Amino acid sequence: MNLDKKYTTYIVGIFLIIVFTILLTMLPSSINFFKEEKSAMFVLTLSVIFIMLYEIRLTKFTDKLPFLRSIPGLKAIEEAVGRSTEMGKPILFVPGIMDMNEVETVAGVVVLGHVANMTAKYETELDVPVARAIVMQAARQVSKEAYLTQGRPELYNEDMVHYITDDQFAYAAAVNGIMQRDEPAACLYMGKFFAESLLFAETGNSIGAIQIAGTGSQTQIPFFVTACDYTLMGEEFFAASAYLSQEADLIAGITAQDLIKVILVIVILFGTVSRALFDLGLVSFDFITLIGI
Amino acid sequence: MILKRYIPIAIVAIFGSLTLSAWFIDNETIETFANDDATQFFDIIAAFAVFLGALNLLKLQFIKFIKKQKGWQYSAISIISFFFAFTIGFFIRGAYFVEDKVFFTEEAALESLITVDISKGQQEPSYKVQENSFKDISDAKNFAIKQNLITPVDWGAHVQKNGSLFQWMFKYIFSPLSATMFALLAFFVASASFRAFRARNFEASLLLLAGIIIMIGRVPAGGLISSWMVMYLIVLVSGLYIHYLKKKNNVTIIFTLAGFILVTIAGMITGWPLDKPSIFYLPLLQEWIYLVPNAAGSTAILMGIGLGIVVTSLRYIFGLEKSYLGE
Amino acid sequence: MMIRKLENLIIKVGDVDRRVIFVLIGLAVLIPLLTPVSLPIRETPTTVKFYEGIEEIPKGSKVLVSFDYGPSTRPEIHPMNVAVLRHMLRNEHKVYISCLWPDGIYMALDALEDISDEFSLKEYEDYVLLGYRPGAEAVIKGLASDLRKVYTVDANGKFIDDIEMMDNVKNLNDFAYIYSGSAGYPGTFEWVKYGGDPTGVRMSSGTTSVQVNEVIPYVRSGQLIGLLAGMPGAAEYEKLVESPGIAIKGMAAQSFAHIVIVVFIIFGNIAFFLKQKKERKYSK
Repeated sequence: MNLDKKYTTYIVGIFLIIVFTILLTMLPSSINFFKEEKSAMFVLTLSVIFIMLYEIRLTKFTDKLPFLRSIPGLKAIEEAVGRSTEMGKPILFVPGIMDMNEVETVAGVVVLGHVANMTAKYETELDVPVARAIVMQAARQVSKEAYLTQGRPELYNEDMVHYITDDQFAYAAAVNGIMQRDEPAACLYMGKFFAESLLFAETGNSIGAIQIAGTGSQTQIPFFVTACDYTLMGEEFFAASAYLSQEADLIAGITAQDLIKVILVIVILFGTVSRALFDLGLVSFDFITLIGI
Repeated sequence: MILKRYIPIAIVAIFGSLTLSAWFIDNETIETFANDDATQFFDIIAAFAVFLGALNLLKLQFIKFIKKQKGWQYSAISIISFFFAFTIGFFIRGAYFVEDKVFFTEEAALESLITVDISKGQQEPSYKVQENSFKDISDAKNFAIKQNLITPVDWGAHVQKNGSLFQWMFKYIFSPLSATMFALLAFFVASASFRAFRARNFEASLLLLAGIIIMIGRVPAGGLISSWMVMYLIVLVSGLYIHYLKKKNNVTIIFTLAGFILVTIAGMITGWPLDKPSIFYLPLLQEWIYLVPNAAGSTAILMGIGLGIVVTSLRYIFGLEKSYLGE
Repeated sequence: MMIRKLENLIIKVGDVDRRVIFVLIGLAVLIPLLTPVSLPIRETPTTVKFYEGIEEIPKGSKVLVSFDYGPSTRPEIHPMNVAVLRHMLRNEHKVYISCLWPDGIYMALDALEDISDEFSLKEYEDYVLLGYRPGAEAVIKGLASDLRKVYTVDANGKFIDDIEMMDNVKNLNDFAYIYSGSAGYPGTFEWVKYGGDPTGVRMSSGTTSVQVNEVIPYVRSGQLIGLLAGMPGAAEYEKLVESPGIAIKGMAAQSFAHIVIVVFIIFGNIAFFLKQKKERKYSK
């Protein structure tokens, strides 16, 4: 597909979304159900949906996968599984301490599926202690499917995913205990973390395990970066599923995300300049106030 | 296939769209659903799922204990602790009030009410409750109970009443254990930063410098370090760096001496104020690092994470991502 | 010879076992706690802003204080919450206490006990302890729309409608100020997103040092009026409200611990460079 045509479609599409939003705000009050103050957010949400779906549609017309830069942390997962297999030691997977209502936990469980695929393939022991019972069920389902897909259902044991406790530090103590006793060759931390992140990572470091972390918890990223071998930061973590599955639909979602980021950067720059000009009295309108942020 | 694939995807799509639309649609029913009902549904499911988790925990610990697997002693502690907390939470009120005083057991509360009277000439003691005397202790206890002299704490309130057994457990067992785990962070932060903060390259050196400024500037001890001392330190480090680059002693000495003299003259002119020039005063410098470069960086990361969450959520809503179902 | 010996010694220090660091950190914390050292405390602008934010509330206003932490983070958050309660009660505000964390209720009870005698506190006259409700952000959303949807009874089981102090309190809009002492989720973020922002009620927060990084953009944008940042923030605030407490006492311990870490980092780096130099020398 011609690049110019693609970007023209986006510009026209976003323009139509803006027009549609304006029309919604102009509806007579008797049938107006739209929250006008959320207009900017509405335009952004529809634009994200539009770009994402369009990018996915484009992948149908080409055999070539969209480019996805190499993410060392994700590449290292296979290496970590291989290392554990060689050493005959288990892999510890911690899917964070929050429940399934947290997108990061879902992303963590998705990565677990890919890891379980690898452990099934290499016949490596997998240990998944969880802090929430619902996560336990989801993680079991995902792992079971992975072992079935690899044709190794006999290797799957329901208790490889086991519940410990909901309490943050009791969970941290239990996981640290597992690390000290079983000495896994690889520790993977993928999900939502709080203060326990460093307790895990430092204990993992002390037993000489290869450690890979992935989280969107901004405050915990520095701890993981300091103590782990590889860290998937924020967006990289959410891109993990696309990267590991190499599915065109999912990678297209990542491309869409990048495009939206470019749009956001343009909006921010435009907003900053417009605000500066407004404050200097050179123009009479302020873009930031106009879009209601 | 329908049960395991299409229905879950449909549920995610319907409820996801409904929750998303609540942000933009001015309708009380949808808003109430998204803001209150849906979250409460989740809480209820999560609360019941705890039983599932607890059973799994017990099963594994019992197996470990019975089969005497590695670390079975810890399993024994887990099982005992589980039943201890379970019993205190569900079966023992643990707080019986006699006026302002609180007792863990009803027996202890009764004993506090009853006084033993051993008067001269009496062969057997008598038991007094308020002004009433009883020969048999059980009569005294029955009287105290009938007169409602003891007020047991309400079920439910027993876990948060000051002085109750549950609160005692919380205060003297759970709190110290939690605080201990959290306190471990101080030690781990020290060892992790010692290992990781190495000036391997320019970026790592910047990180190291910023880390040191924040660590010292954030605490009162940093406030005692005058900006002039920091300036002297900068001159000294720059001198060492120049020596490393040029390898000429003369250049190093001249540069360092000139730097020291300049700083000294500036100090004498201004009267050596502790916090001026503020750019070299660590508490102010760390505040600037927090509020400017750090805030800028964290806002950018926050936006990236937010965008990642939005796109990932949309992938679930549109059924593009099915890996969470095991596919 | 001497220099070489010194170099070897520094390299050894650079490879020191982490247990040695643990012991030294332990001592750096313990000694100043046992033999108190007084250090001058200098208020940072975010703390001053926080203090002024509370000072600006008209006397006798209704304020909501949320205890969103547990015993693990108690040393950091509790001193600031106690100081905030002191400040608010001194300014004759009516305090309403909510908890988003189950352990928060115990923290609130402890804080009230700490200041009970000082202010001759009377429940239902000076404060109402609403207590803990599960649901995290759902609780805040509920409070923002209708408080009685979330709380039908208070922590003592007393009906909200029977409490005189609750008479004109329908939702968050009826409060002049919201404060959350937060150690993570649910906490500051959720209060800003679902409490402060949608209602426009002025709010602020006290957080652990680790969270500051994440929360600071909200201070910059004005969504939070100042911030109490970790234990140093608590100590600065204790100084501002003129009620020295555990946070001020803990500052010497924290200062020494930070200094020990910095010294180790510096030694570690010197050792790192000496090692590199040695390796280069031998590889030539």
